Amino acid sequence: MSTIQESEREEIREALVRFLRAEAGEERLRECMQRDRGYDDAVWRQLADMGLLGITISEAYGGIGGSTLDAAMVAAELGRSLLPVPFIETCVIAPALIESSDVAEKMGEVLSSIAQGTATIAIGGNATLAPYRDATCTLKIEDSNRISGEVSLVMHGAHADYLLLAIDSESQTRCFMVSADTEYAVEEQTANDPALRPATIRLNCARGIELTGLKPDDLERVRLQGVATLSALQTGAMRAMFEITVDYLKTRYQFGRPIGSFQALKHIAADLFLEVESATSAAHAAANALASADSLAARSVALAGFICNDAFRDVSAQAIQLHGGIAYTREHVAHLYWRRARATLSMLGDSNTHREAYLSTWETAA
Amino acid sequence: MSQFDTDASPEALRVAVLSWLDTHWDSENRRPLTEPTYERRHWRQQVLEAGLAVPSWPSEWFGLGMTSAQCKVIEKAFAERNAPGTGLDRYHLGAITVFKAGSDALKHEMLPELLTGPICCLLYSEPNAGSDLAGIRTRAERDGEQYVINGQKVWTSNAREADYGMLLARTDWDAPKHRGITFFLFPMKQPGVEIRPINQITGESEFNEIFIENAVVPERFMIGNLNEGWGSFQTAIAYERLIMGQGITGRRRNSATRSRPPLLELAEKTHKLNDPVIRQRLAQALAYREVNNLNNERAMTEMMTKGSMSLMSLSKLAMSRIQHGEAAIATDLLGPEALLDGPDNSDAANTNFDAAKAYMNSIGGGTDQIQRNIIAEKVLGLPKEHEPDKGIAFREVKSGTGPRTTG
Repeated sequence: MSTIQESEREEIREALVRFLRAEAGEERLRECMQRDRGYDDAVWRQLADMGLLGITISEAYGGIGGSTLDAAMVAAELGRSLLPVPFIETCVIAPALIESSDVAEKMGEVLSSIAQGTATIAIGGNATLAPYRDATCTLKIEDSNRISGEVSLVMHGAHADYLLLAIDSESQTRCFMVSADTEYAVEEQTANDPALRPATIRLNCARGIELTGLKPDDLERVRLQGVATLSALQTGAMRAMFEITVDYLKTRYQFGRPIGSFQALKHIAADLFLEVESATSAAHAAANALASADSLAARSVALAGFICNDAFRDVSAQAIQLHGGIAYTREHVAHLYWRRARATLSMLGDSNTHREAYLSTWETAA
Repeated sequence: MSQFDTDASPEALRVAVLSWLDTHWDSENRRPLTEPTYERRHWRQQVLEAGLAVPSWPSEWFGLGMTSAQCKVIEKAFAERNAPGTGLDRYHLGAITVFKAGSDALKHEMLPELLTGPICCLLYSEPNAGSDLAGIRTRAERDGEQYVINGQKVWTSNAREADYGMLLARTDWDAPKHRGITFFLFPMKQPGVEIRPINQITGESEFNEIFIENAVVPERFMIGNLNEGWGSFQTAIAYERLIMGQGITGRRRNSATRSRPPLLELAEKTHKLNDPVIRQRLAQALAYREVNNLNNERAMTEMMTKGSMSLMSLSKLAMSRIQHGEAAIATDLLGPEALLDGPDNSDAANTNFDAAKAYMNSIGGGTDQIQRNIIAEKVLGLPKEHEPDKGIAFREVKSGTGPRTTG
């Protein structure tokens, strides 16, 4: 369970909302998209000062020991703001893997650096818990934890302080931390979403530290935590885009009346509202199931996985359609939400995979 | 002073209600302790006198002034003892409407009766007033201390059993459509009221057409003021929509999330559970049901904590895609067998019944399209569409029924 009470969580959320409004508005976002990292490093450090980067890290390692509900709350607001920071990788998946491993104490410094905002972690590999799984990855584990080969789709790979490589090898998943001080080659890839920074990493006998002692259950739990956090991020983003769209329908006039008075448009808006609220319910149920260690958590997470993926895709796509020509311009914000939606569709598993997993949980029901 | 304290803890309230039930109700034989058999009127009278029939209403109006959370506690206690009769403040549309919109005199005269015996039916829709309900043409004309009613109503359930009908009738033809309607508590058992059952596409006949010719209603049975019936009616319909969307959820949550769904059984039986396309569709169908349950739980919480009703409006619309969607998958699972029907082909018969019955939710109580208008206008705040009949005398408004034959 979380060490954070519900009322505290609401207070943290309100502070985060104020901060993001002031420091991560659209203008700032667009300016930062031109920079190396795609986001402002100062904003990342301020999130650390607010305690948010260590939100799931144990107090023993400088965090505040929150649950997936707390990570989800932060992710929803980050999603709303479109801030392209590596929160899920650095603050949810990596710390959970490290803390579940046998080397948690040895890696204590990495954990506290994450909480302090001085270390970010990029995750790559062909394992399902790699946020953007690279099926063509050629990573090989050589003797004495040396890693060679190539992996793409490593988000923020060029700027992270550590790589976390999740490699499926001989029917098990093994995870390695590789410090950015190690010698390896990085080549940035071009992303459709102008704020994102995927990279190809080439390693030649690079030294890694294995996160030993990770059991299949641990890996699965961490993957579920990642999916639930992503679902929350998507709900925040889709709700923001939906609100912008409803406002537009109220204020844009054609034929002498607000276009939102046309049933053809208001019916789409009503259907999208159902999608947004359903996604919100599903994401909340998933985070809550993990935070309370519900035995049906895997089902709740799979449900949120595809409900939120599809809803974010549909809401952002319809947002462009409902805006008409203005949203076909790069100046309008709609395409940024639409690109982010498309970028998250394959993150931590696509909708068809989640649906299959969801159905499987029903097949085994009594 | 009531024996049920509004300041009591939920547990204390539960105990008080259970102990009242244990001195009045035989839960094993499902009858009042004082009577040899269950008779609705007698039992309801006892529940009413205890304030438990309508616990959320104030004590001067037959209730206990309980909050909705406290009413839940009372309902649960009744359920524990298999006892009927509470929660009429949530389910008895006729009594709710009279309570919310009627004059004090009408409430004093009719509520004790409505809450114990008579059945009420709804006389709203007409052949020419469906989605546009305010376009009703049944007329009420004053004749001394009573009104004479002429017209036709449709989609009335329980009409044969009903003692009273909640009647919408036009009393002013020169006012715009919403402002010439009056709401009446209409006595059904009288000459001039003819009831014909409707044969529905499911094979059922739960609804009726009502033909009213020179029937009468006393003036004192007017609910609310003359020509202000539309406002009173809004109170009634809001409850109906709430009940339609909610009916199926809540109580079933546990069994719904833990046990194997029927659609999965049908897929297995028809050897299609390994078809990857079917699997995706099954997952989506089960998901729509589960998210609707989750939405309803959130809606309840939001209503209790913030008084917000916005999520409540979604359930009825969501139920349409659930029911039509599940019937479509079942039809595909059955394949050609779905063209059969009757008792020898029960899977096909059930599926065909469900496919037809799904329209009950997507048309009844306001079509999905009307429901989308309501969500868009009342919840999202989008402007109303241009209304050509707005502000003009009702007798000038155009009307038409549309054709009803083949080809």
